[in-house]
Amino acid sequence: MDTPVKSNNGATLPETAEQTLYEVRKKIYPRAVRGKFAAWRWTFVLLTQLVFYGAPWLSWNDRQAVLFDLVSRKFYIFGLVFWPQDIVYLTVLLIICAYSLFLFTAVAGRLWCGFACPQTVYTEVFMWIERRIEGDRPARMKLDRQPLSPRKFGLKAAKHGVWIALALWTGFTFVGYFTPIHVLWREVMTLHTGSWETFWVLFYGFATYGNAGWMREQVCKYMCPYARFQSVMFDPDTLIITYDPDRGEPRGSRGRSVDYKAKGLGDCVDCGICVQACPTGLDIRNGLQYECIGCAACIDGCNQVMDKMGYPQGLIRYSTEKAMQGHYSAERIVKRVFRPRVLVYTAILWLIIVVSAVTLYERVPLKVDVIRDRGNVMHGSDDPEVQNVYRLQIMNTQEVARDVRISVAGVDGIKLEAEAQPIRVPATSSRVVAVRVEAPRASLKDRSNRIHFTVEAADPSHPGTAPLTVVEKAALVIP
Amino acid sequence: MRLQKLIWVLWPSFIAAGAAEALFFTVFDPEELPFFGTIVGASRIATYSVGFFLFWAFAAFSSSLTCFFQRGSDEINRCPLPPTARPLGCPKRSDENASCR
Ligand code: SF4
Ligand code: SF4
Repeated sequence: MDTPVKSNNGATLPETAEQTLYEVRKKIYPRAVRGKFAAWRWTFVLLTQLVFYGAPWLSWNDRQAVLFDLVSRKFYIFGLVFWPQDIVYLTVLLIICAYSLFLFTAVAGRLWCGFACPQTVYTEVFMWIERRIEGDRPARMKLDRQPLSPRKFGLKAAKHGVWIALALWTGFTFVGYFTPIHVLWREVMTLHTGSWETFWVLFYGFATYGNAGWMREQVCKYMCPYARFQSVMFDPDTLIITYDPDRGEPRGSRGRSVDYKAKGLGDCVDCGICVQACPTGLDIRNGLQYECIGCAACIDGCNQVMDKMGYPQGLIRYSTEKAMQGHYSAERIVKRVFRPRVLVYTAILWLIIVVSAVTLYERVPLKVDVIRDRGNVMHGSDDPEVQNVYRLQIMNTQEVARDVRISVAGVDGIKLEAEAQPIRVPATSSRVVAVRVEAPRASLKDRSNRIHFTVEAADPSHPGTAPLTVVEKAALVIP
Repeated sequence: MRLQKLIWVLWPSFIAAGAAEALFFTVFDPEELPFFGTIVGASRIATYSVGFFLFWAFAAFSSSLTCFFQRGSDEINRCPLPPTARPLGCPKRSDENASCR
């Protein structure tokens, strides 16, 4: 390259800037910080990953508790079984997720990004591994400047080895949500995994390794759709990570014992820790930028500096646009959290949750579809009886077998002919039952007559309980 | 730039393919899908996987057309050679954004 590379903000980067996946990118070496928010992030990392890695190993009713069984087209979540027909619940779940995201974003910005997003979580874990093996920021930068040596090779190999192992485990766990994990584990141990399963383990593992090890902040900056539109959910009362220029400026270095106020300096010692801690390489002192994922690492970093200097914490802190302008007190900021917009979002969210929970609770675990067999009507037009054939698809969505009885009504003298009743429908399965319905021509008023099937499903293991009943309409047609 | 365009094509189409896959296979069971009159014999996992890559390929095709049509006129007219690779004596050797006109 013969011309110096320009970065996107117009500054000329040194020649060491590398062309990486997306643009001219200066490698970011985030500095580890300790503090309240780092502790919160680790809590979320541990919680989410405990659930993610652990859930597929739990059992329920002698089967995997959480299993999105693609092969048998059923989703199991503890006691619940979802069929493809239940897609409405999936839609509702997506709506609830989206709404929660709106709500959290309106209250405190990119909480999701900073604390719970898998991209953040895995990056955090991968960076922790990197730190353990290569050391903190200065050590890593030094290592990368060194020519390749046996030591450097060893460290890099160890880091990538651990990364790849974790990525593969993640890929395995992911596939374990879609195909029974105990079986998959046995297959892995005997090296007998199916080719597609192997492929998806590697695919997901590779994505984890690439995103958390290499892409990191670039995923947030260039690939994440939420990052692009989150700002429309902000309002002037949204809590965001802010540097307090009134307190910090004019910035400048000084000794610990210096009376900096007399020298006309603000609280910012211009140490650059906030920039070094930032996983996206931002300087939060320039104001809120869309690249900021709200991780609060700069808050923790700056607070550490403030403590060392003996200044009060919170030069960088969660605050709102209005609070910065109007110098609100902490209580006033908290009070503004409960503003109409947030209350309306919360109310709608709860409404959706309650309504869907009630419908989920009330749903009848028996579904019946009636299809009239058009090709199979008797054609004798002077026959005193009219016959129609129907196919009833009976879906028993619960994990108990059912004994089913079918009856028909709606027209005088109507009769039903089917296989011997009751009909056993095994647990979580469906059966098609063909029935022939006959009615005297004299009692049929129209060409098409409304009739209804009643399907009663008893639980043979609990003889005393009332059967489930489903009534389905159908038409009896004179040929 | 090449790599960036590749990601512009592959990544949005990946998201679209994921959504299409979920919707399509919720509604249609691969074991009941007619394929030129017969039923696809492959296992469900195989059909799901192949289906996903088909969706991805179609979406990527659309994304790449978008990328292709999005190029501005100066991008199309620009000299394809970097300045230093242009023949000696080319009047636009020092002009990075030289066009062929
Ligand atoms: S500016 Fe602060 S909160 Fe934003 S990404 Fe950087 S470190 Fe995290
Ligand atoms: S960490 Fe705090 S004191 Fe140091 S440069 Fe950043 S804002 Fe200033």
